[in-house]
Amino acid sequence: MNVTVNRTKIEIFEGAQAQHAVLNYLVRRRLAQSWLRRGRIQDAYGHEIGLDAPLREGQIIKFKLQ
Amino acid sequence: MKKLLLTLAAACLLASAAFAEKKEIHIVSVNDMHAKIENFPQFAAVIDSLRAIYPELLVFSAGDNRTGEPLNDLYEIPAYPMVALMNQIGFDATTLGNHEYDGGQANLARLISMSNFPYLACNIIPDPKWGINTLPYKMFFVNELRVAVIGATQVGPAGHPDTHPDNVTDILFTPVEETLQEYKWLRDESDVVILLTHIGYEEDVELSKYVPWADLIIGGHSHTQVAGGEFHNDVMITQDVNRLERVTFITLTVENGKVIDRKAKNIEIAGYPKQNKIVAEMVRYFSDNPAFQRVLATLTAPMTTYEELGCMMTDAWRVETGSDIAFTNTGGVRYDYLPAGPFTVSDVLRLDPFGNDIVQFQLTGQELKDMLIATHYADIEYGFPKVSGIVCEVIMDKKDNKKIKDLKITNPDGSKFDLKKTYQVVTNSYTAAIAVSPRKDQGRNLNRTTASVIQEYLEHQGSIDYTGAQRVFQSISKK
Repeated sequence: MNVTVNRTKIEIFEGAQAQHAVLNYLVRRRLAQSWLRRGRIQDAYGHEIGLDAPLREGQIIKFKLQ
Repeated sequence: MKKLLLTLAAACLLASAAFAEKKEIHIVSVNDMHAKIENFPQFAAVIDSLRAIYPELLVFSAGDNRTGEPLNDLYEIPAYPMVALMNQIGFDATTLGNHEYDGGQANLARLISMSNFPYLACNIIPDPKWGINTLPYKMFFVNELRVAVIGATQVGPAGHPDTHPDNVTDILFTPVEETLQEYKWLRDESDVVILLTHIGYEEDVELSKYVPWADLIIGGHSHTQVAGGEFHNDVMITQDVNRLERVTFITLTVENGKVIDRKAKNIEIAGYPKQNKIVAEMVRYFSDNPAFQRVLATLTAPMTTYEELGCMMTDAWRVETGSDIAFTNTGGVRYDYLPAGPFTVSDVLRLDPFGNDIVQFQLTGQELKDMLIATHYADIEYGFPKVSGIVCEVIMDKKDNKKIKDLKITNPDGSKFDLKKTYQVVTNSYTAAIAVSPRKDQGRNLNRTTASVIQEYLEHQGSIDYTGAQRVFQSISKK
């Protein structure tokens, strides 16, 4: 399925969680995976969502370092 | 006559005053607890404090009470600890999250029968043969008010909740929005209408367009932290992040049979300074879970390398999912020695403690090769993945021993591996996320944890011996 992380389109497996999309984003950007634990994930409305929040097709999320 | 008129007037005034009396309903809502039983002593203390002020406090869960904590999920009756703790706290109702189905239909029926609170979902129709006793809604009578609570469970793109399809073979799921309309009549019969949903925040916002007759949606599924309550289409929506980090305390004010004020605020649970001692003792009891010492198989010879344990893990995933090939990032194999003797549940959880799920792909040989190399680079601290169903010869660069110069794959019998053929491949969800490589099929989560699949494999094998098992051979390029 397709999701968007920080305006980057990510192709990820069906049933992925927010952390999987962010990990994929970090690897694509050649950033350390350990950043996952140092940031916050938000939905399109700007709400904080959990690392294991389930994603759906077309979902837009943002990852911000704290 | 004058006296009578005065008496009547006074009575009318009193009646109208009584009619106009404002009444409050107080609710604590949680969602997606995912068996975070460590936070229950603090959570129970919060409930105790609120009940001391509001004796008629309602406590609701918007689903996904279970799954994510082996202490709970691997209990003798899977997920029973959460039911026991929710009974002790005195939950008034829960809806069914997609993970409520993870233990299968018999387990769900059993857990419901052991619960002192109803499971509400208007959009499920279980086959009666399983005895899954859910209700579409429940009417609560609180502070002389009628509070209708209607449940709704998540239905994914496959037409059922996001769980393994085998877990819901005899349950029919209907669309949430349409089905809820069948319960609109409850508006006329109630002072307050609450939807207890497990469909996700953005879906709740969409749903609010179709249920203007509801006062409140207590949501779950997307683990979204809403600040108190938000209003969309004049319906208040609440939700918290998962694992009992926070709960929401809601106050509804009712006058003349109508909700005139809605307030909600979040309460931190993780750092709450007090604990309920009885609940703390229950958590301690469940933490000493004898089920962890259950013997799954006998190890006839010690396992002495990451390679041997990696071979066993990936064999388990390949065999138990009926796939051609399995692989794991090497960092996912957490120890390199296990003595001969019993292989217990605890040994599996130490070996594979991350709670990853199995992800399945249809890959060509070339796509698999690219994915193995991508995994190597993304998990470079640990090196090339462990595999099952193939043998890999990895030739490293002479100048940079972490750089792959060439990868040769053969079938286990030594025959040539077909790079054009399509194979069914499984790996864990972490590896599926980090292996960024070109492939047509992005895969699908089978909603089975990798650790539970290893357990099944060991139980099916009875005894195992991986002495000397090796499928990845590394050498240094001569050039």
